[in-house]
Amino acid sequence: MRETRKVARLHAILWGIFSLGGMIAAFLLPVMIYLTGIAYPLGLWPFNGSRDPSFLVTGTLLGMLFVFVTVAGSLFHGIFRFQSALTEVGLLRLKRGLEAVGYLIIFVGIVLLAYYLLVLNPSLPAL
Amino acid sequence: MTENKSFPELRRKLNPGWWTANRHYVQYMVREWTSLFVALFSLVYIYGLSLWVTGSRSAFLNLLKNPATIAFSFIALVFTLYHAVTWFYLLGQVVPIKIGKTTSKPWQALVANLILMLIVSYLVIWLLVLR
Amino acid sequence: MDTATIRVTRYRPEKGPEPFFQEYKVPYRNDMVVLDALNYIKANLDGTLTYRWSCRMGVCGSCGASVDGTPKLTCASFLHEFKGRTITIDPLPNFPVVKDLVVNMEDFMEKLVRIKPWIIREKETPPEQGEYKQSAEELERYQQFSSCINCMLCYSACPIYGLNEKFLGPAATALAYRYIEDSRDQGRNVRFPIVHEMEGVWECTLVGECSVVCPKGVDPMLAIQKTKILGATNAIRSILMPRGGR
Repeated sequence: MRETRKVARLHAILWGIFSLGGMIAAFLLPVMIYLTGIAYPLGLWPFNGSRDPSFLVTGTLLGMLFVFVTVAGSLFHGIFRFQSALTEVGLLRLKRGLEAVGYLIIFVGIVLLAYYLLVLNPSLPAL
Repeated sequence: MTENKSFPELRRKLNPGWWTANRHYVQYMVREWTSLFVALFSLVYIYGLSLWVTGSRSAFLNLLKNPATIAFSFIALVFTLYHAVTWFYLLGQVVPIKIGKTTSKPWQALVANLILMLIVSYLVIWLLVLR
Repeated sequence: MDTATIRVTRYRPEKGPEPFFQEYKVPYRNDMVVLDALNYIKANLDGTLTYRWSCRMGVCGSCGASVDGTPKLTCASFLHEFKGRTITIDPLPNFPVVKDLVVNMEDFMEKLVRIKPWIIREKETPPEQGEYKQSAEELERYQQFSSCINCMLCYSACPIYGLNEKFLGPAATALAYRYIEDSRDQGRNVRFPIVHEMEGVWECTLVGECSVVCPKGVDPMLAIQKTKILGATNAIRSILMPRGGR
């Protein structure tokens, strides 16, 4: 009984993070997709043809924070929700496997993201 | 009323196409599948970042300028905006705000949060690019 | 004379393992509801047709069925709502069928009782001290969720329940929330573990169809969401303040 209480409590917290990720994906992800995937490659506002990509991988602390929060939050939210969406279209029996793969992707993704931003980042701001 | 084995009960399984049965279910499925693009864009971004930080700048720039990536970004943006809109509407449904005697309606939460999102987006652009 | 065609999915386990359709033509008046049609069939055309009903005015919750694919109370579905006056009636989805339109309600009943739908007090005060007082504002916090007539339409509309019978479900959670929010109740410690277990509220992915089909405006989706928020804040609080802070 205690084990299931602990699992349920963990799930409550995961749901909380998922909800936070949903807020992040709703408020911050659109502008990130626009800037990175559309405005910069096509030279649209606010880049107006400027080709300096250094901002994209952020040379500022604020930029790094923005990237980390937006991508980590969106990744968590997206994977969490997608795995439940998959179980609803007929893959219910694979639920445990999907959860394991999902959390693995989330974990690896966030660790890599932090590693790239904090360790390998060539434009690492002087901290 | 325990089941009498000579008169078995009929058990009907939900078929995988259950969500096509009515308009609400279809909208629900589309809403949930926006999560795929949210997750995919994040993964593509992390991949692109890996190119940049390991020194393959030209590979990174080629990835960004690739028409396939731009098309994917457009689609991801459309789906992410749909996620945002449905998320704000959900917020309106599950956290209604009471002011005096009136309670907020979901579409009001949608409009208010959409405006907030546009303001936040402009702030991000101003803080990270324009400044 | 105007007629309506009623197509009913029948199930007679004593006759065979497969369900089958049967069509009946009933005389049509524009103030008729589906239940009137069923009663006409049973009285005049086919006495073997079996279905539940009682109050015929939408307060007892007995007459739920799937009418043209939507879970509805047959006493609250007017024939004139349906095009061409042809209506298909199936037993409520997501429940085992006992016979014709009668479904096995045991899982639903078990869940209602499981969440302990009564006021739980740490200590009962003796009757001489008077009743537990409650203000109008306190009543308003849970009143909507006490309107449930246990008709099970929400469970039929919920695909999560259809996929996983262990899911606690809309009506049971709304009822639990009704007691959680009741100012007279002191049973959070008892109810929270039940609603916050794995197959409690966490299975819900906000399809929202439960609130759409509810004939009484209970809005179980809202109750489940609020219970999730309570669960998340409770979990965080129990980690940050393990010894108290209640």
